[in-house]
Order: sequence, then C-alpha cells, then structure tokens
Amino acid sequence: MISGIFHTTYEQDMALRTSHAQKVRLVILVLFLLAFPFFANRYALTLANQIGIAVIGAIGLNILVGYTGQISLGQGGFMAIGAYTAGILTARMGVPWWASTLIACFATAGIGAIFGIPSLRLKGLYLAIATLAAQEIILWVVTHWKVVTGGVDALVVPNPELFGLRMNTDFNFYWLVWALVIVVTLATVNLFRTHYGRAFTAIRDQDIAASVMGVDLFKYKLLAFAISSFLVGLAGALTAHYRSIVTWERFTIDVSVLYLAMIIIGGLGRVTGSYLGAIFMTLLPVVLSNLGRALKGVFPIVEALIPFIQQAAFGLVIILFLVFEPEGLNKIWKNIKDYFRLWPFSY
Amino acid sequence: MSRIRTLLAALVAASMILTACGQSGASAAPIKIGAIFDLTGPTADVSTPYSEGMKDYVTWKNANGGIAGRQIELTSADYAYKVDQSEQLYTQYVQEGVVAFMGWGTGDTEALRTKIAEDKIPFMSASYSAGLLDLTTAPYNFLVGTSYSDQAVIAVRWALDDFKAKGSADQIKIALIHNDSPFGQSPVADAKTYTEANGGAFMDLAMPKGATDYVAELAQMTTFGAQYVIIQNVSSPAAVLLKDAKSQGFAGQFICLNWCADEILVKLAGDAAEGVMGTLPFVPPTVSVAGQTDAEAFLKAKGSSLAEKGLHYTQGWWTMAVMAAGIEATIKAGNEPTGENIRAGLETLQGFSTGDVTAPISFSASSHKGNNSLHLYKVTGGAWTQVSDAISAGQ
Repeated sequence: MISGIFHTTYEQDMALRTSHAQKVRLVILVLFLLAFPFFANRYALTLANQIGIAVIGAIGLNILVGYTGQISLGQGGFMAIGAYTAGILTARMGVPWWASTLIACFATAGIGAIFGIPSLRLKGLYLAIATLAAQEIILWVVTHWKVVTGGVDALVVPNPELFGLRMNTDFNFYWLVWALVIVVTLATVNLFRTHYGRAFTAIRDQDIAASVMGVDLFKYKLLAFAISSFLVGLAGALTAHYRSIVTWERFTIDVSVLYLAMIIIGGLGRVTGSYLGAIFMTLLPVVLSNLGRALKGVFPIVEALIPFIQQAAFGLVIILFLVFEPEGLNKIWKNIKDYFRLWPFSY
Repeated sequence: MSRIRTLLAALVAASMILTACGQSGASAAPIKIGAIFDLTGPTADVSTPYSEGMKDYVTWKNANGGIAGRQIELTSADYAYKVDQSEQLYTQYVQEGVVAFMGWGTGDTEALRTKIAEDKIPFMSASYSAGLLDLTTAPYNFLVGTSYSDQAVIAVRWALDDFKAKGSADQIKIALIHNDSPFGQSPVADAKTYTEANGGAFMDLAMPKGATDYVAELAQMTTFGAQYVIIQNVSSPAAVLLKDAKSQGFAGQFICLNWCADEILVKLAGDAAEGVMGTLPFVPPTVSVAGQTDAEAFLKAKGSSLAEKGLHYTQGWWTMAVMAAGIEATIKAGNEPTGENIRAGLETLQGFSTGDVTAPISFSASSHKGNNSLHLYKVTGGAWTQVSDAISAGQ
C-alpha cells in the first residue's frame, strides 16, 4: 500500500503522470480511443464526436472560469464566432478548411480578448452580466450582418477534405477531433506548469495578492480570455466543418449555460473535469431518452413524462452536485480511486 | 446427368420460392419514420398539438390498413428545441433505418439539411422558410405549408385589393414587423419587392427579444403612416403588440402570418385580436372542410375534438398525411420505399387534395414548394372565419 507519493528525482517531479496506476489507466484509455471507432456504429460515433467538440469547448471555458476565476456566459457567442469565421472563409472565399479553422481560432481569441476588457474592472456577477452582453451582441451581429453572415439563410459549408479524404464523415471526423482533443489536453496541462498558468491561478485565488507579487493583471486577464476563446473558437469551427452548415440557433445562451454546467459538474479548474463534464452532459439526455423508450413497453405513462423528467433532471443534477460535491465528477472519481487504493483500510 | 438436372431445377425452383417469400416478407415490413417534437422547450405550446396530430394520424392510418397494406412505425422524441439533441436523435433514428424524417422548427430543419441530403432522407417540418426551397442545398426538404415569403406576398396582395376597394387616393403603406431572427426576417425581402413593385411604400422593423411592450415600434409605424401591418412572429409577442396597438389607438389593419394566426393569439389578445387578418395555410377548426372528418371522428372516439386541439393538430395530421401519400405513391409505382425512392414518389404528387385543409399539394423534381396559395381569415367574435377565396402568391 502506498502511504504517499514521493519524488526522488527532478524527472519524476516534472512528469505529468507520476504513479504506475496512472500510466496504466492512460494506456487503457488510449487503446480504448483507438479501438472505439472500429466497433462503434454511426450513432455512437456521432455522440463521440459531439463529446470531442464539447471537451475542447469545455477545456477552453475551464481555463477562463476554473483556472483564472473569470466567469463567462459568452461561450455560445464565442463558439458562433469560430463557426461563422471558419464557415464564411471556407464557403465564400474557398480557404481550405484547416486554414479557416486556424484563422477562426485566432479571430475568436482576438474578439474574446476585446470582450475580456471589462474583466479588468468587473468581477463576479458583474462580469457575468458583461459576458452575457457579449453573447447577445455577437448573436445579434451574426443574425443581422447579412452581407457577411448571410443573416436569414443558414451558411452551407463545403465538406472538408484532406488528401482526397472527406474529413466530416463520422468515422474520419472522429480521428480529427480526438487528435485535437489530445493536443489541446497536452497544451492545457502544460500551460498550467508555466509561469503564465501560475499567474492565472494566482489571479483566481487572490487578484490583489497576485498583483502585489508582480502579476500584470491587465496582461494576464486578457491573455486568459484570449487562450480560452482560442479553444472555444476551435470548438465552434469544428462544429461548422463537421455539420457542414452553420446556423445561429446552435449558439444561443442555452449553450453558454450548458458549458458552464459541464465544467461545474465535471470539476472547475481540472482538465479531467472538462472531460467528465462534457461526457456527462452530452450523454445525460441520450441516456434519459433511451431509458424512456426502453420503459415505454412496461410503463406506458413514462413515454409522456420522459421529456419533463429530462428537463427536471438537468436542473436537479446541477443542484445536487453543488450541494453534495461542489468539486464535481472529478472529485468523485478521485474518491473512487482513493477508496480502492486504501481498501480495505479506508478511513 | 438427368438426375443432376432435376436436382438443379429443383434447387432453382426452391430458391425462387424462397426469394418470392423474402419479397412478400419485405413488402409487409413496417415503414419506419422518425420524428422530433418540442414538448418542453420554447415552442412547446404549438409543437405539442402538432405532435399529437402526427402521432394520431399514424395510429389512424395503421388502423385503416396502413400505407398500401404496410404499417407505419413512427419513432419520436422530444428535443426541447436543442440543436444538438435534434442531431443525436436524427442519427439514432437513421441508424435504426427510418426512411423519412419529420422535423419541427427552423433550428433543427436548418441544422439537419446537409445531413439529410447526404443520407437521402426526405424531410418535412413546420418551418416554411423559402431558403429551404433551394434544391441545390436542400434537395430532400419538402414544404407542405405555404412559405413565409408567399404568405407575406399574399398578405400584401390582399392589402392592395382592400386599399383599392376603400377608394383611397393615397399611396399604400405597408409595415412588416417581425421576430428578431432569421425566422422573422425570412419574408421581408420578398414582401418589400412585391409592395414596391405595386407602387406601395414598405418598412420593416424587428420586435426586440424579451420586450414587454411595443409602444416604440407602434410609434415608428404611426410616423411612417402604415395602413397595413404584417406580423411575422409567434403568438405571445404578437398578442402583446395587438394589445398595445389597441391601447394606443393605432389605426392600421394587422395581418398575422401563420405562426401568430392561431387560437393562442385570440386567447392571449382577447378583444384586441378582433378584426385581425391571418394567412392560414391549414384550416382552423372553426371552419369545417372535408379534410377534417377523419381527424374529428378519431378525436371524438378518444373523447376530444378538433376545437379542443386547435389548428396545429390539423397541421401535424396533414403534414404526416402528405408524407404518407408520397410513400404510397412510391409503393404503387412498384418501388421499395427507401429515402431516395420516397423523394421521387413525393415528386409525383400533383394536385394532391387535403380535403380543403390546404390548397392542393404538388411537388415536382424542380420544386418542393407544396403550394403557393391560401385563404385569408379574420378574427370575428373570437374565432377565425374565412373571408376570402384562395389567394395565390403568383409565380
């Protein structure tokens, strides 16, 4: 039994995965991700792809909300910028999909930083309202700037191709999105081992103290907004290329709330939390609706009630998590690991 | 040698019988159709009766022999007007082998149209945006209801006639006030072109989201001098507008397009709805036509009535009926009802009668616009009454 984790070399200290069990779990996870598409049907692949996009978006939001402590209700709007930039560049100007995706990320990062400016003076609820305004302004522009966005009509985006291979079939897109998920994960995990990341957490924990220590609040807050929006823009651009159509109704305030729920339920300030939250919130309606279908034969009344149960469950889950496990699924996962690690002598 | 020949002949005969059995087995298999409804989201008030109409049509049709002897298997779920969930359900149903899909709103219809084209799944929904008629980007979308653009043009046509009949020498001024979204903006361009081509003045303005009153918008329309106001919005904001117009003494004639021309508007606006005109692509229960007989009888057996369910029930019933007619045409032409064949089957419908619930529905390989004409209705004594013959949007 392990009584603690002790690092005896600098290599050990710097490693992302320190224990043997962690490495084994990582290998199992990677093997699962590699094998999954060969066994999954199209429905399962669609869900996996939706989860992949959600993970990237949730990691992006978590950098801002969980790590830097700057609340944002503008997630939907920032995703819309990513999706529309990528969509317009590819559909109207014939920019290759990968280039338009990259430009979309930078464009979203830039606009995200602009909308982050109020964060220098506003905190907490006031910042929430300011970012809510960002959400509404962006969607208003998207639906009214007809010359650019098409306004009334949805924007149809040509299928992305790579070496003659169509990238947005469910099977091919799986590889693209999950490869990006891994890159984003590694980048984020490492970001919080650099002085930038540490400055972000210092701002979250106590911004005045951080400022006294020499952290330039102006620079780092905007940087947090930019980095976060970069990833959120990536999630938006991927949505555009995956579905080959961009519509404004995909990026409403509901989406902002959904992503906030993901990171709260998953665990604020933890990359694993973003994964767990994205998986949980994407699969919750799926599981409930399939459960309703399965129970339909046994209890016919369930079919009529299931939509309402689904709505109630969403709210209930958030409340229950806030009450019983504010640190989210990530903490529950840790508790489970601890339980088995200490078994049978858990205390 | 001859024995081998006999054996071979027997084998061939047996295999032919087996194939024949296989064929007859296949043709009795149920026809799977997927559907999504908004039962808990922002449009649940109108989607719920629509969903009931669709489900009841399937039950009724199955009880009456199904489509050419084959049963319809309708799989449906609530998606709460969430685009992501509409995609999940769509993929799941396609995976399960549905050959046609019934959507609901603008959100899901737009989001799914590239995938349905790819999967070759004929699609009908309650979104009548003219953008869905572009066969290059939406080759599998079919519009059963008159498009928003055509509705607006019909409203303008009626206004022009009405204005002429009143014998006024002034220029006609028409305002189009709409939901602040692509759904709302959809008919603006066509209505403007048509009005201006006929010598009228046109203005359009948005109804801000979440507004509690529209006094400012009414003031703008008064300054403009609008004699006719077309509303493209859902019932509750339209009712607020009508109430404000009444209290402000606004003199213009209101014309609701189909999403505010329903019983909910009359209920919410009360007296203020009196005299409002409406472009209704589907007949309301207050007017009785042959196409309502089956639905009425079906509901009566369940202890309900069309009057109780409202016109969105009829809308759901007949949207499903048109899809069923397309499938029936496919089977009658000797084709297996796959998505691609059903599309071809739907495209053979010419002047398909809905028993006067809508203008006859026609689709062709070059147009998926079901019809372009409808009757105008007026709220009289709290009920929608038919006031005109069918007016066409021309073209």
